[in-house]
Amino acid sequence: MIRVTWRRELTLAVGLLGLAVILGLSFHWSLVQTAFRGNLTALLDQKRQERREVQFQGVKTLDLAQAYQTWQEQRALFVDARKAEEYQELHVQGAVNVPPETWAELSSSELIKMDRARELVVYCSQESCDDALKLAKKLREAGFSRVMAFVGGFRAWDEAGYPADTSR
Amino acid sequence: MSASVMRLISSVVGLSLGGLFVYAGIQKHLAPYEFAEAILAYQLLPSGLVGLTAAVFPWLELTTGALLIIGFLMKAEARFASGFGLPGLIAWNGVLTRRSSLLLIMLQLGLFILVLLITMARGLKIDCGCGLFTDRQVGPGAILEDALLLGAAGWLYWREGKAESGEEGLLIPVQSK
Repeated sequence: MIRVTWRRELTLAVGLLGLAVILGLSFHWSLVQTAFRGNLTALLDQKRQERREVQFQGVKTLDLAQAYQTWQEQRALFVDARKAEEYQELHVQGAVNVPPETWAELSSSELIKMDRARELVVYCSQESCDDALKLAKKLREAGFSRVMAFVGGFRAWDEAGYPADTSR
Repeated sequence: MSASVMRLISSVVGLSLGGLFVYAGIQKHLAPYEFAEAILAYQLLPSGLVGLTAAVFPWLELTTGALLIIGFLMKAEARFASGFGLPGLIAWNGVLTRRSSLLLIMLQLGLFILVLLITMARGLKIDCGCGLFTDRQVGPGAILEDALLLGAAGWLYWREGKAESGEEGLLIPVQSK
């Protein structure tokens, strides 16, 4: 019978750690290398874009300037896809909140009762969040033909100093 | 409670814990760029190290989870290395396998909790990148989930220490040479 000692336990644990490092480096060497070279953000932006083109195919997007122009022209209803507490703290002026936890019952929401030809601009927290695209896709599937996702999110809007409201 | 019932409970807990780690590791391994984004959002590591962490962490979860499962399926003892004349160093048995993988699992969970606490204290409202089945923000829920898993791993580690003398695994009858 083998005696279980601290030395053996740690040896196996360290060996396992080494195995994880070898496997991780072998499978994702390009990611590790790019990060060490300081190009991680550009790589992540590119990969995010590629993934979204497949996952959210057909969903139209707006950049900050286009979103602001749409807001100024009062053409569209802005839809905030963030959690209720984030919306209450600060949101795009005039936006309505459709938080993720209500998406399962989207068919019974007030938004769905609106004219399906109404232009909608959906946004979430920031560039890296997918919630705006997810909700925009759901709304398209629900019959809204003029729905767009503002991918910069509330962070970009706020940093640009554009009009925002609080519900507190 | 009888020893056999306790044995069954610890096996179920151990196999579930191992399964969760394997599942979490596979999820992250299949989406390395999303995992790197989640790590970057914590703003704790220089971006040069984010790539390394995103590459290695999923495999650490995967290997420790898989080894924990193997440990619970193994019989007490198997001297795989004895044929190579290295029995003292690499001799391997179920208890050793379980305790080593549990040690690493506890280390990972402790690290997760520490990072979550630091992030909460800094007031960052970000996705934790740790939700097993759903997206979830850094907050008490994520900490509680990890604390429960840490409690389970700690209990198993303690139990394996108590029963060090070679309880048998569930399924695979590995004979010692």
